[in-house]
Amino acid sequence: MVKPVNLEVAVGTVRLANPVLAASGTFGFGPEYAGLANLARLGGIAAKGVSPHPWPGNPPPRVWETESGLLNSIGLQNPGVEAFCREYLPFLARAGTRVVVNVIGRTVDEYCRVVERLEAEAAVDAIELNISCPNIKEGGLSFGQDPVHAAEVTAAVRAVTQRPLWVKLSPNVTEPERIAEAVAAAGADALTAINTVLGMAIDLKRRRPALGGLSGGLSGPAIKPIALRVVYQVAQTVGIPVIGIGGIRTAEDVAEFMMAGASAVMVGTATFSDPSTMERIIEDLPGCLQRLGAKSPSDLIGAALPGRP
Amino acid sequence: MTQPAIVKAKIHSVRPVAVGHFEMLLESSQLAAADPGQFVHVRTPGTLRRPISFSRLDRVHGRAGILWQVVGAGTGWLSQQPTGGRLDVLGPLGRGFPAPEADRPWCLIGGGVGIPPLFAALQIWGDSVRAPITAVLGARRGDLLVMVDDFRNRIGDVQVTTDDGSQGGQGTVLGPLAHWRARHPNGQIYACGPTPMLAEVAQLCRGVERVYLALEQRMGCGVGACLACVVLAQGKQGPEWRRVCHDGPVFAAKELVW
Ligand SMILES: Cc1cc2nc3c(=O)[nH]c(=O)nc-3n(C[C@H](O)[C@H](O)[C@H](O)COP(=O)(O)OP(=O)(O)OC[C@H]3O[C@@H](n4cnc5c(N)ncnc54)[C@H](O)[C@@H]3O)c2cc1C
Ligand SMILES: Cc1cc2nc3c(=O)[nH]c(=O)nc-3n(C[C@H](O)[C@H](O)[C@H](O)COP(=O)(O)O)c2cc1C
Ligand code: FES
Repeated sequence: MVKPVNLEVAVGTVRLANPVLAASGTFGFGPEYAGLANLARLGGIAAKGVSPHPWPGNPPPRVWETESGLLNSIGLQNPGVEAFCREYLPFLARAGTRVVVNVIGRTVDEYCRVVERLEAEAAVDAIELNISCPNIKEGGLSFGQDPVHAAEVTAAVRAVTQRPLWVKLSPNVTEPERIAEAVAAAGADALTAINTVLGMAIDLKRRRPALGGLSGGLSGPAIKPIALRVVYQVAQTVGIPVIGIGGIRTAEDVAEFMMAGASAVMVGTATFSDPSTMERIIEDLPGCLQRLGAKSPSDLIGAALPGRP
Repeated sequence: MTQPAIVKAKIHSVRPVAVGHFEMLLESSQLAAADPGQFVHVRTPGTLRRPISFSRLDRVHGRAGILWQVVGAGTGWLSQQPTGGRLDVLGPLGRGFPAPEADRPWCLIGGGVGIPPLFAALQIWGDSVRAPITAVLGARRGDLLVMVDDFRNRIGDVQVTTDDGSQGGQGTVLGPLAHWRARHPNGQIYACGPTPMLAEVAQLCRGVERVYLALEQRMGCGVGACLACVVLAQGKQGPEWRRVCHDGPVFAAKELVW
């Protein structure tokens, strides 16, 4: 018999009913999965990235299946923050779960404009900065690839909001710990790790890169070991909470991320194949915790870090 | 419209229907209530599901058919599923064909595995159309043609083309379509097939009021959430992306930008 377990966790000041959130970009703005998943059961939903104005995104094909993974080059298509607040946020506000708004921009000012617009919206529980966007002032190198620019955008956003501020790390750097330190010092309340891993596929028939955007971001089980390593490194380096993402499909995967130092997790690609993945994980977690000899999810956090008994 | 759901449907039968092509009947009144042109996202062992259109909709017995060509791991796995087993499908998904107008001549243009959704349309609406109905079915070779007998059991005018002339007229479906169009300037045309074929159908039928095309695009979620499956359409303020899984797969030809 599995005893009922309180699955609550805290990410800084944000309390979650359980540690499982929907990852940005894989769960739309909420309504798309409403008939297929019980949104109120989730720990939270990270909405698709929003920019100050609509972004068109990349030409298709935008996804390509790979061994144990998925490449995407959606190109951050979104209707802009105004349309998001008008058409989608009211739905999310009523969904009965935590609402995380993923924010994108091409300049520091663009990030700030989105966050300033969101200040008027009570439904937003946390802001998640996606710093994997190309920085047009720096020749397209992403904000997340350089500690100075990552800190600059974090500090600028910190100055315009008191809301819980999460910064989403890119794995496409030599030392994610340096970026983590920089954004933590600039005022981030938590880190989410990881965004997708840069990759490419070739379409043999067309003799061309398979994706319309040429290269793309790899997600799914293929990147789980990469994500675990980043979480493990970063959790040792900074004092703020870390949210783990990358290839999660089962309660055991969640336990691995928590032992590596994550306080909560996000599930992305797995939802495409099975829209009930997150609910299944939440259902399986109590049994999984019991098997691992843990009384609550918090017992697992950082258990695998050096110096732990 | 039937709400999409995860259906663990019982497999009533699976049978080969042409070289490398299979048709499966699923027992589910929920799926059988779908609109022609809608599709299911089939769970396979890979990272993503596989989109397949309905080939027939038997609302009386509560059975829905899917027909596919084996082109890779997912469709190969699908053709090995046993009768009596269960298949995990997400559906019915998308926006199907609109009902045809009863008094307009109706032409169904299918290429390869684009033929099945047109048969579903004929099955559901054939009796309601009083004007003449024509089907033009094409494939690369005769042994790759599917559902020709199903069409012939329902309508008299079924024209067949193959690229190599091994069955029916040699050439593509566009030849017979051009003739039909000339004879029926006010007709309604429903087409499904490879994207280049649909582009030519759209071009050939420019100016015809009712032309509907069922499109394919690489998909992620299948439910409108990931914005993977886009095609370019005419928006209020210029061209914009629409989602094949949610806004389509059927689009009016005049909506699209080629
Ligand atoms: C709305 C819709 C309806 C479809 N209906 C049918 C049908 O009725 N009968 C049929 O035989 N085929 C149909 N297809 C195409 C079918 O989805 C692909 O042939 C199938 O996904 C191939 O999977 P695979 O694993 O065998 O091949 P692979 O080539 O190994 O597949 C690799 C990846 O590419 C995707 N993919 C490959 N070809 C296509 C394609 N043509 N369109 C979209 N994604 C593709 C797969 O889904 C998978 O994610 C339809 C596609 C769409 C979008
Ligand atoms: C189709 C798709 C779209 C995505 N869009 C976004 C986005 O808008 N913003 C963002 O921060 N991350 C985005 N991501 C990254 C995911 O949120 C997540 O970090 C990544 O997919 C790894 O998790 P997974 O393996 O569980 O999918 C996207 C991922 C996919 C597959
Ligand atoms: S496949 Fe995800 S939006 Fe169409």
